[in-house]
Amino acid sequence: MKIKQTLDKVLLRQSARAGLLLVIVAAATLEATGIVQYYFSQKGIREEATLRAESQLEATKLKIINIVDQAEAAVRNSMWLAQWALSTPDSLQAVSRRIVENNPLIVGSTVALVPGYDKKHPLFSPYCFQAPGETTIHVSSLATEEYNYPGQEWFTKPLELQTGYWSEPYIDVGGGDILMTTYSVPLRDMDGRIAGVLTADISLDWLTDLVGNVQVYPNAFSMMISRSGQIMVCPAESLVMRRTVQQVIADMDDTAAFAGVNRSMLAGERGNAVVRYNKNTTHIFYAPVEKTGWSMSIMVPDSEIYGNIRKVGMIVKLLQLLGLLMLILILRAVARNQLKYAELNERKERIENELHIASGIQMSMIPKIFPPFPERKDLDMAATIVPAKEVGGDLYDFYIRDEKLFFCIGDVSGKGVPASLVMAVTRSLFRTVSAHESSPQRILTTMNDSMSEVNESNMFVTFFVGILDLASGHLRYCNAGHNAPLLLTDAKRPLPVEANLPLGVLRGFCFKEQETDMRYDDAIFLYTDGLTEAENSQHELFGEERMYKVLSTRRPSDGQMAAMKEAVRDFVGEAPQSDDLTMLFIHFLPDGEPEKTERHLILHNDIQQIPQLAEFVETIAGEKKLDQATAMNLNLALEEAVTNVIMYAYPEGSDGLVDVEAILRKDSLEFIISDNGVPFDPTAAPDADVTLGAEERRIGGLGIFLVRKIMDSVNYARKDGKNILSMIKKI
Amino acid sequence: MEVTVNKQEGKTVVVLAGRLDTPSSQEVMSTLEPVVADAKGTIVLDCKDLEYISSSGLRIFLTVRKAAAAQGGNVIVKGMSDSIRSIFIMTGFLNLFQIEA
Repeated sequence: MKIKQTLDKVLLRQSARAGLLLVIVAAATLEATGIVQYYFSQKGIREEATLRAESQLEATKLKIINIVDQAEAAVRNSMWLAQWALSTPDSLQAVSRRIVENNPLIVGSTVALVPGYDKKHPLFSPYCFQAPGETTIHVSSLATEEYNYPGQEWFTKPLELQTGYWSEPYIDVGGGDILMTTYSVPLRDMDGRIAGVLTADISLDWLTDLVGNVQVYPNAFSMMISRSGQIMVCPAESLVMRRTVQQVIADMDDTAAFAGVNRSMLAGERGNAVVRYNKNTTHIFYAPVEKTGWSMSIMVPDSEIYGNIRKVGMIVKLLQLLGLLMLILILRAVARNQLKYAELNERKERIENELHIASGIQMSMIPKIFPPFPERKDLDMAATIVPAKEVGGDLYDFYIRDEKLFFCIGDVSGKGVPASLVMAVTRSLFRTVSAHESSPQRILTTMNDSMSEVNESNMFVTFFVGILDLASGHLRYCNAGHNAPLLLTDAKRPLPVEANLPLGVLRGFCFKEQETDMRYDDAIFLYTDGLTEAENSQHELFGEERMYKVLSTRRPSDGQMAAMKEAVRDFVGEAPQSDDLTMLFIHFLPDGEPEKTERHLILHNDIQQIPQLAEFVETIAGEKKLDQATAMNLNLALEEAVTNVIMYAYPEGSDGLVDVEAILRKDSLEFIISDNGVPFDPTAAPDADVTLGAEERRIGGLGIFLVRKIMDSVNYARKDGKNILSMIKKI
Repeated sequence: MEVTVNKQEGKTVVVLAGRLDTPSSQEVMSTLEPVVADAKGTIVLDCKDLEYISSSGLRIFLTVRKAAAAQGGNVIVKGMSDSIRSIFIMTGFLNLFQIEA
């Protein structure tokens, strides 16, 4: 118990350690996945934000350029008119009026002449303009002392640059606080001399809406600055046209970064940057508006861009934590189950151990040292038993008593421990009963009665008993419902068996015994259905055909056994063994003689044929180099036996045959005399009493007496309508 | 099989030569009929040249022995070979006859 507790603790500690490791690995994996996912998401979102901002910048810029182009085109298209009007400067006013009239976008226009160009007017700049919301066109002159147009940027710059020029935006104080800008183009006269500039003023009130409406993210905002850094559009209206960016950023926390951005913007570059703005990380995307020299920027707080992904990240983290918690709970449950399972396993192992011991005892009962009779040359035997699972219910047994081989094979119904117990009982009964009983029929009857008497479990045993007379090869056998063993002579066939019941089924059942003769080199193969019904993974059976095929090759018994096992193994493959496999192979080699010869003689039932028989026997005696006395004795025995047949087997006057077969072996001679006559068993006649005096002596009975005296073994059988007398003489 | 019957010094001498098997026994039996009919004296069965004997042959020996016994005669078996003697021993016939070398 103490050991068990310690074991449990060890198991628990081990599983706890394994569990902890698992949790850590899972957490690390989740975290790593999270990081990778976050990184890629962030990258994607950043790219998307950039794309969104840049496309907004581009779209806004295109809208502005479109308007600017319209103004430029209007001015360009009026150029020829202005040139033509230069000769009569008073008509220049009409050109300006026409520009304002024809272009709703243009709110004011003038042709300002270079001072001194016109002799009459040192300064000349008639200005036509339209007040907001009005259709009337007012005319005034810009050629005043206070205004001094030749010093204005819109006048000097185009002449200096010799090209069209967009002025710095400005607030038109006279026209109602409107943000304006002026496009001015150098004007040349027909001679190619610079005469002045032609201008168009456009209102920029749409610009505030256009830029202000750019909303990449809810809390993002846009700005437009002029080429000098003047703030043109921005959410803080108080700054518009009152401050430059330079002034604004001087008050910022992150001045250096802003200054960098500003420089880049003023230089007309596009790009993006990250700055600190109002203590928030803020992304600035910016792009120039060509022709005008303006630069537009969009500022997006970092939290706007990554707000969602951070929220998702939090949810994912929460889910991961939940998952880990679940994992820990599951591991705890598994660890508890494992402990239970370990207990069950231990119990199962104990039972299996006991079964192994039982199996060992059972196996030790069965003779399994081969060859079993190494001193005997007339028997070559091998046997095998392969239990399917744990202990099995198959058995075989054999032993020699009185020069007779007693052998058996059996298969107990069912499997496992009960079957093995019945098997042990059956085997011990066989030994006990056959110890003083030499008839297979009586052995089985006794065993059956004793097994049927107390058979509450209703188990039965198919069983085969054989008794082989090792001197004569005579086999007596009795089969109780078992597979018929195979008799392997020149032909291979099952032994004919009576349909007897298995043992343990019916008390008092009358078993029928059978017999046959085994010759030199004959064999008998006994098996259980575990052989023919061995199953492969396709559920096909090994079958009799494969069994016969293996047996068709002649081998020593151990070779035969190994070949059969290999054939089964090849056939079954990986499939589990479904039933016990038991085989017993008995190869009969009387006298251990490897060679034998046979002689044959057929006689008519005529006493005058006896000399022919004598000659037949003499030849054999000569061949075997027998001494004269033995030769004569053999002759005598044969003559007596054959005379018996000639005299008594056939009705007087009828013709019949007597068949004499001689089998010559190294150490024995066998004679088999057969006839088709009336059934007659000469061995049944009482022996002549050789102790009687001459007066009491009967004339008959001497013949068979002599045969018995001379021969070592005499057997009579009636088979297939024939009397068969076989006699063996050892030499 | 040859069988001859001579009268010598008041004894009937039957000389058996060759194989006394079943077929020849019938012939021998008929030859010995007069001997059996008149078996009052001494009958000598000379087996010096007897090579073989079967139960039919033994039956002739027994017939002669029984006739002599009935008529007050006497049967002497003479000159048996070892092999014939062994048959006589086997069958207990050795005790039924007076044996001479």
